[in-house]
Amino acid sequence: MTDHITQINYLDPELLQKLGDLELVAREVVEGLRVGSHRSPLRGFSTEFAHHRQYAPGDPIRDLDWRVYGRTDRYYTKLYEAETNFDCHVLIDASASMSYGSGKVNKLEYAKFLAASMAYLVLKQRDSVGLSIFDSEVRTYMPPRSAMGIIVEIDKMLREIVPTPKTTVAKQLHDIALMMKRRSFVILISDLLADVEDIMAGLDHLRFDGHNVVVLHTLDPYELEFPFKGTWRFEGLEREEPLTTQPERIREDYVANLDKYLTALRSGCIGANIDYKTVDTSRPLDGVLNEFFAERATTLNGGAVGARL
Amino acid sequence: MNFLNPLLLLGALGIGLPILAHMLNRFEVKHTDWAAMQFLNRSVRVRSRQLRLRDVILLILRCLAMLLLILAITRPSMKSRHALVSALGEKRAGVVIALDASFSMQHRDGTQTRFERALEKVESIADGIRTGDSVTLILLGAEHRTVIRNAAFDADAFAELLGEQKATSEALHVDSVPRILKELAAEMKAPEKEIHIVTDMQEQDWKPRSIWLQESLKDLARNASVFLVPIEGGPENLAITGLELVSGVLRKGTSARYRATVRNCGANVAQNVRVTGLLNRISVDVKVIPVIAPGTSETVSLFFPFRDPGPVKIAAELSDDALAADNTRQAVAVIRDRVSVLCVEGSDGDGQSAGRLIAAALRARDNRKVQDDLAVRSVSWVDLPSQDLKQFDVVILADVPDITVEQARSFERFVRAGNGLIWFAGDYVKADAWNQRSALEGSPLLPGTIEEPISTIDAMGIGRSLDPSLTDHPVCRPLLSLAEDLLSETRFRTMLRVKPSATSTKVLSLAGSDSPLLLEHSLGRGHVFMFTTSAGSAWNNMAVTPVFPMLLQQMVTYLTGREFETPRTVGDTLSLSYVEQPDATDAVFDTPAGETITVPVREYRNQYVALLGNAREAGFYLARVSLQAAGMPIAVNVDTRESMVKSMLSAETKRILKDSGVRVVRSSDEILAGMEESRESHSLWRILMMAGLAFFVIESLFAQWMSKRSPKTGENH
Repeated sequence: MTDHITQINYLDPELLQKLGDLELVAREVVEGLRVGSHRSPLRGFSTEFAHHRQYAPGDPIRDLDWRVYGRTDRYYTKLYEAETNFDCHVLIDASASMSYGSGKVNKLEYAKFLAASMAYLVLKQRDSVGLSIFDSEVRTYMPPRSAMGIIVEIDKMLREIVPTPKTTVAKQLHDIALMMKRRSFVILISDLLADVEDIMAGLDHLRFDGHNVVVLHTLDPYELEFPFKGTWRFEGLEREEPLTTQPERIREDYVANLDKYLTALRSGCIGANIDYKTVDTSRPLDGVLNEFFAERATTLNGGAVGARL
Repeated sequence: MNFLNPLLLLGALGIGLPILAHMLNRFEVKHTDWAAMQFLNRSVRVRSRQLRLRDVILLILRCLAMLLLILAITRPSMKSRHALVSALGEKRAGVVIALDASFSMQHRDGTQTRFERALEKVESIADGIRTGDSVTLILLGAEHRTVIRNAAFDADAFAELLGEQKATSEALHVDSVPRILKELAAEMKAPEKEIHIVTDMQEQDWKPRSIWLQESLKDLARNASVFLVPIEGGPENLAITGLELVSGVLRKGTSARYRATVRNCGANVAQNVRVTGLLNRISVDVKVIPVIAPGTSETVSLFFPFRDPGPVKIAAELSDDALAADNTRQAVAVIRDRVSVLCVEGSDGDGQSAGRLIAAALRARDNRKVQDDLAVRSVSWVDLPSQDLKQFDVVILADVPDITVEQARSFERFVRAGNGLIWFAGDYVKADAWNQRSALEGSPLLPGTIEEPISTIDAMGIGRSLDPSLTDHPVCRPLLSLAEDLLSETRFRTMLRVKPSATSTKVLSLAGSDSPLLLEHSLGRGHVFMFTTSAGSAWNNMAVTPVFPMLLQQMVTYLTGREFETPRTVGDTLSLSYVEQPDATDAVFDTPAGETITVPVREYRNQYVALLGNAREAGFYLARVSLQAAGMPIAVNVDTRESMVKSMLSAETKRILKDSGVRVVRSSDEILAGMEESRESHSLWRILMMAGLAFFVIESLFAQWMSKRSPKTGENH
């Protein structure tokens, strides 16, 4: 790409915010991933048979061609090529809690970059990408399309959002699941600050509908580390009762609660065959995506997730 | 409740500091919006509330600890008989023990001296003092000596210290006792203060001051419990109260008569009192006084022959009695090998000239043989410039009309060096010239300003007789032994009116008037005598009466004496002075006990003086400019006012101490009971200090326990 910003070694969220142009941001992020040198990390449900190969230990059992076994009494594995024509649906949580940011970029901004980058990546593979933005209700639902201009629309839609407290993630996921007609690749970008069971109920609905679900759990570094010192008054963004305390003295309790929550969420996702990634909003976007795709590739090779190339 | 350091109560404001820090911490709240409120859930909120509660508890503990410690350092005490206060508090007191160490305490009635009995009483007082109490021990005397001052009491150390104490040779200076005791008590930091006065309560000290003492003790008793521990004793005591040179010249080969005065201070008649005269510690004369009535003094003459020149130690000693300290009286005499007198005559020098009369008077002792030990040279005043004054000990100026300024200065140097000058008036004396020459920069050469001659002829047409004004002056003493008619035979017809200078002493006066016949003043180390009458027969008939040789010889003896010949009293300052700067920078004083004290030689008014501040012992001190130099003895005697050893009677003591608030305790049991009874206050500082420290420990343990408990709380969620 001739217009690639070669001077940028890593894509710091604050720097991306300064760029302003979301499409440019997305392009920078995605081009930085060197797409094309690898197979697509996003493997849709629509797959196309390529050829057979003799089974080797370690190959997924599910890919065994039982018909060939029936005929020849030998194990053959089916190999598939990625089909570029799949639907990807990006769901962005725009609730009030997403507006928190300890640095210059809050979680919602970061989610916007993530969404744009994902959309760009999908569009670059000539697949369709759709977008849903929700808070206490589904604010926007844009069916999947394959036009590059969708990135600009994402930006526009996000700009118009006024964050509303009280996210009910489960309900919104149920609603969105009902709206989606085809089995899709669903990417949920949210801080998921709600009851784990509630969240899992919504995600399960998507999974039951046959969607391949990826959760990008965006959390601010302060939410992860709770590094406050002195006396602080915490005003809940979603109308919770405020708390005045000395955070350093309750930090252990907080971190314990957070770990318990993250463990429950991660366990729930693994149980439901959902790809889960905690995203620290202070980290560079390309690094996060690179890491995510690498993990996903590993997972796919291990055959844990029922996605197909 | 009383506080020893009430100002430190201001420190209680210090507990505001942790509160302020706590409040500041609470009020300095930073605000933030927060999304992940679900992790600050109920248990975290409970935990936060627990932490706040813990903070408050820690704050309270800290404040309490600090408050208790501040209270402790204010040293509170409480007067209460409540069982709790008695259980928690301690009966603490600061104790001042004043032990009379004057030499009357050496009086021995039986087997023990009063001082030994007093030490036993002090030991009893020490039994009632708790370890750590503030204690001051002061020995009372002429100059009170603090042995320990406001020190924490340690029984063993105190007993050891007490064993080292001895009665001094000083007299008791009663007047300063209440003041010093008040000061010592005031400087003590104790809830209760006790003053114990252990004394033999000599009647001669207490009785004349009964009202003053009553008031002073009452004043003491306002701020402290005052206990008087009387060490009673009888009055029997003989003392030598005086030893003076009466007559004779202090020259080699002569004898001098000294007068020893023995006083019977007791209530019984003293018989056959034996007085021994000691010359350089060798007995040379013994006299026995057959009877001395109670309360009276008797004198006895002791003759001391002087065979060798130099300083000699003269002492009069009594046989042993109940109080040995005042049984000896010392004096020093410097025996001269030869005395040279220069007689300068201003008159024409006829047969009755002053010069011849003076020379005759000085040689009056033995006219038939030439005296080797006394040389008198008579010269006319016009020959004065040719005389070398260094060859003479005494210069007599008889009717000298005038002297030059240089001569005046040379006479001043001569006198200041320790020599003597005798000045006689006469017809030739020019008053204005003498007044002018005599007026030196510091003090005048002559002890008076000369005015005009006056006639002292009475109504009978004869002159007036003389009157020894200062009966105790060495010059007057032999005159007093003369028969009345011999004294009255001396008549003065004319004399100079003089205006005595501020430093002068009137030694002889004209009988029946205040007009001085003989004035004296000291100049440097020497003396100047000034007769306001003539040495010749023009103005009087003195030169032809027995008075004249007596006077002149006594004056020459007196003038050739040295300052260290004057006996000193215990407590006086001893001095050693030189006209020329000595080779050594330090002088040495050997005390009668054999101790050597080195003092610096300092320049003072054109002289070099070494001063020993306080002579503590009675006996002969030896003053030297260096260890190798020959010593000059200085006699130091006890103050015999202390010899009246009779103690106050119980009834009299009661009368004096009535309503003064002072308790008289005699036995050990009475002492201990009195001390226990007087201590009403309970000192609380120790318990408060322990409580404060305990609170600090509790606070620390509580904080530690809470911090250990925190992770468990976290894990439970």
